[in-house]
Amino acid sequence: MKKRILALLMSTVMVFGLAACAGDDQKKEEAQKEETAGDEKTSEGQGGKEIKDMTFDELKEAAKGSTVTFYGWGGDEVLNKWLDDVFAPAMKEKYEITMERVPMDIDQVLSQLSGEIQAGEEDGSIDMIWINGENFQSAKENNMLYGPFVEKLPNFGDYIDAESEDVTLDFAYPIEGYEAPYGKAQMVMIADTAVTPDLPKNTDELLEVAKANKGKVTYPALPDFTGSVFVRNVIYDICGYEQFLDMEADKETVKKAIEPALEYLRKLNPYLWNEGKTFPDASTTVDNMFADGELVLNMTYDAFGTSIKIADGTYTETTQSFQFDKGTIGNTNFMAIAANSGNKAGAMVAINEMMSPEIQADRFDKMKVLPVVDYNKLSDEQKEAFDKVDLGKGNIAQDELLSKRLPEMPAELVPIIEEIWLEEVVGK
Amino acid sequence: MQRKLTPYILLVPQIVLTIFFLIGLITGITQSLGVIPAFGLREPTLFYYKEILTKPDMVNSVLYSLRIALFSALFSTAAGVLLCALLVNGCRTKGKMMRIVQLPIIVPHVVVALFAINICSQNGLLARLAYAFGLIGEQQQFPALIYDAGGFGIILAYLWKEIPFIIYFVIALMANIDGKLGEAAVNLGAGKVQTFLRVTLPLCASTISSGFLIIFVFALGAYELPFILGATTPKALPVQAYIQYTHPDLRNRPYAMALNGLIIVISLVCAGLYFILMTRSQKKLAGKK
Amino acid sequence: MREEPEKAVKKRRFMITDIILIMFVLAIILPVAVMLVWTVTERWAWPDLWPQVFSLRALDGIFQRSEVLTKLFASSIIISSAVALLSVAIGTMTARALVLYEFPGKGLVYFLTVLPFMVPATVFAMGVQITFIKLGLNNTVAGVVIAHLICSLPYGVRLLMDGTAAVGARLEEQARVLGASAGQAFFRVTLPILIPVILSAFCMSYIVSFSQYFLTLLIGGGQVKTFTIVMVPYLQSGDRNIACAYSVIFLCITLAVFAIFEKIADRWSRNTDTAFYT
Repeated sequence: MKKRILALLMSTVMVFGLAACAGDDQKKEEAQKEETAGDEKTSEGQGGKEIKDMTFDELKEAAKGSTVTFYGWGGDEVLNKWLDDVFAPAMKEKYEITMERVPMDIDQVLSQLSGEIQAGEEDGSIDMIWINGENFQSAKENNMLYGPFVEKLPNFGDYIDAESEDVTLDFAYPIEGYEAPYGKAQMVMIADTAVTPDLPKNTDELLEVAKANKGKVTYPALPDFTGSVFVRNVIYDICGYEQFLDMEADKETVKKAIEPALEYLRKLNPYLWNEGKTFPDASTTVDNMFADGELVLNMTYDAFGTSIKIADGTYTETTQSFQFDKGTIGNTNFMAIAANSGNKAGAMVAINEMMSPEIQADRFDKMKVLPVVDYNKLSDEQKEAFDKVDLGKGNIAQDELLSKRLPEMPAELVPIIEEIWLEEVVGK
Repeated sequence: MQRKLTPYILLVPQIVLTIFFLIGLITGITQSLGVIPAFGLREPTLFYYKEILTKPDMVNSVLYSLRIALFSALFSTAAGVLLCALLVNGCRTKGKMMRIVQLPIIVPHVVVALFAINICSQNGLLARLAYAFGLIGEQQQFPALIYDAGGFGIILAYLWKEIPFIIYFVIALMANIDGKLGEAAVNLGAGKVQTFLRVTLPLCASTISSGFLIIFVFALGAYELPFILGATTPKALPVQAYIQYTHPDLRNRPYAMALNGLIIVISLVCAGLYFILMTRSQKKLAGKK
Repeated sequence: MREEPEKAVKKRRFMITDIILIMFVLAIILPVAVMLVWTVTERWAWPDLWPQVFSLRALDGIFQRSEVLTKLFASSIIISSAVALLSVAIGTMTARALVLYEFPGKGLVYFLTVLPFMVPATVFAMGVQITFIKLGLNNTVAGVVIAHLICSLPYGVRLLMDGTAAVGARLEEQARVLGASAGQAFFRVTLPILIPVILSAFCMSYIVSFSQYFLTLLIGGGQVKTFTIVMVPYLQSGDRNIACAYSVIFLCITLAVFAIFEKIADRWSRNTDTAFYT
């Protein structure tokens, strides 16, 4: 046995020793790689011509017969089916491009991408990525994305309002042509009017609802996306939103600014599920708890998703989504291209197609995703396709929803708020 | 000469794979020292370890993780061995019974969490039964079996999955020994229980103890169940690592890796302690005889 | 006189045993049964003991994809079987070396074989990914098999070491004395006795490989697709209806595969030899 323990110690020492050496090696390789990375972005040529100098028609030609991989979250059956059964066949027919959907969480996509880039892989497996917010900022700052590319895409110029902040900024971070809009999201809250007839119009009324339904209100534990946006919304409602748009990403500054909201959240705690000592792990858990009647309030980024769930039978017929009077936070999700993508031309063609009015109208119709095209830029015929979409039961009218749309905070503030919430709100 | 070479020849494929593994491990540890060239991090530093070790809730997290791991491993092993003995004794080591034992082993952890919620939460089947029989009047009156700060729900979920694991891990060997030696012992006049305790159990001891260690180390390092069934604070170590890992700023990866490094070190220390304890108790046993 | 109370005690003990086993089986079956109900359930709100709204949404969706899913299953089963086969073969070799031979460095080798137990899969996966890319193993089935093998081998080695130790070297030595070659001695004598343990090791390795998500994604790059890769996003999505439907399929297929393995192992050990059991 002694031998065994000795071996254990020896190998631990060995492992750490080797680690130091490996570090050096990698550094060297990295330095080399970095040199090539600079021109990698531009040197990606097909038929002698560089991608960035090609016209869109040339890109279409170059992409013919190729395969484009599309990496993104794969937990939505309706969306998956739409991508496989509507979008992929359309791409095949129109451009002879095969679309391959790869279901992967964004953190894993970035892991894989960073690994490939670190290893110097030039013909990378990731082409198109579904991304936004802090992940985009991080990926762009680490040179993991290809761009700028959106100016090249005809549908971007024709149908997208390139001036609107929904398209130029992603969580207040300048996009600079590195990602193209895919769909819009906006936070709404959901309740069953048969259970809670008076829907809260602000945080004060929300507190009343919580008091009246003790133990039946909660929100997902941060850093869950939805929990996080809910807390930011509470902050906006109490502290106003303007001050945050150019706030310095400093913990003390942020804490000072959001103190009244923290005070409110602590006041809310005693009336929450499990008395605010524990929060559900994810928005999906809250969705289920709401559907089961364990909670009377739900919240989601999927602004028009309620009608789908009512139609499925998951929610009752009397379920209704609603907003605060001061509005709720909306953002856009985007498509980007990996810096080392082996098929940048194909990815651009696919992204362009995704922004076409026909596809956007179909997404609006089938999945109730807020479209990214500018309504005013559409022809009458195209407008009609959007007009005739029936939003179904339980949703807020689109005009009203968008009229109360608040911008996201700068991405760097988000993790800071999440940290403060954990320290100052949970169990307090 | 040939006999001397044989073990090394037998070990060739194992060693090749081990080298792969070590490369992975070393690269992982390098990352925990803050060296991820792809994100512009180059200088090795102990900064991340310092940072995570000085966090105020760190001690709680470590203790919480250790408690979950220890209780899960202890109870699973004890119950698993007992059930295994009953199965071997009743000659139910094959067929339908084994199919049922295999079920939880196959079920992925995320689904086990779903089960725990379906059955044990304040909205689960047990709470509904209690309500139907008038034992409780409201959901909140049902005891919070999961999402509690003590980690009870997590341990419960691990038990559901790991008791069958122990059975499966041990049963083939136990049946084999029982068949061969047990009968001999019984023929020599020993009772069934005595035979089991004196003959079968000691011969299975090393398998059982490695089963224990596997569960312990796994429960210490896996994030799924504590993430879904745990309280918001304290957070288990692997949950913290997971949250750091999914942190949108890629430069936070070293934190995740340092937390994982901490988990590895704790695992190794526990494994070391465990080996020492095991050899001591074995020596004691041998001494008694 | 002495026999009667003994019988009664025996009977009572059997009763207790049965009750414990029935409880155990129930505890396993209950959540699985609830899951079966969930595959066709849309809403099941408090406090009802039976769902309010049923739907075939999940099953419909799966049927529409049956072609793709069948392909996924075929490739997953092939990958995992290959992993399990290699794991058992290498595990047997390693176990023999560690159990039956004395050699310098044995402690270290043993330590390294069980080390993967103690390293969270993410650490190893992220570390090894770059190496695999450099070797051209990423996005290939071979790469995924090797990566899975590293994770499942420790289970195989551990189980087979105990099995090998229990069988011991004596029987083989006897066979050698009687004139059998080393290979013959192993294949004819030890292997048949090892079959039950080999089966355990095989199934364990298989399931470790079959349920591997993160590693498959990172090494397979999403190009090597297994059923788990498609299933896990649904499990995480919180859509219980679909999550449960996928889980049920996952369980059924795996159990069926295990039953087949057991049959094969059974026939094999019976055909080769039974005499050594007694």
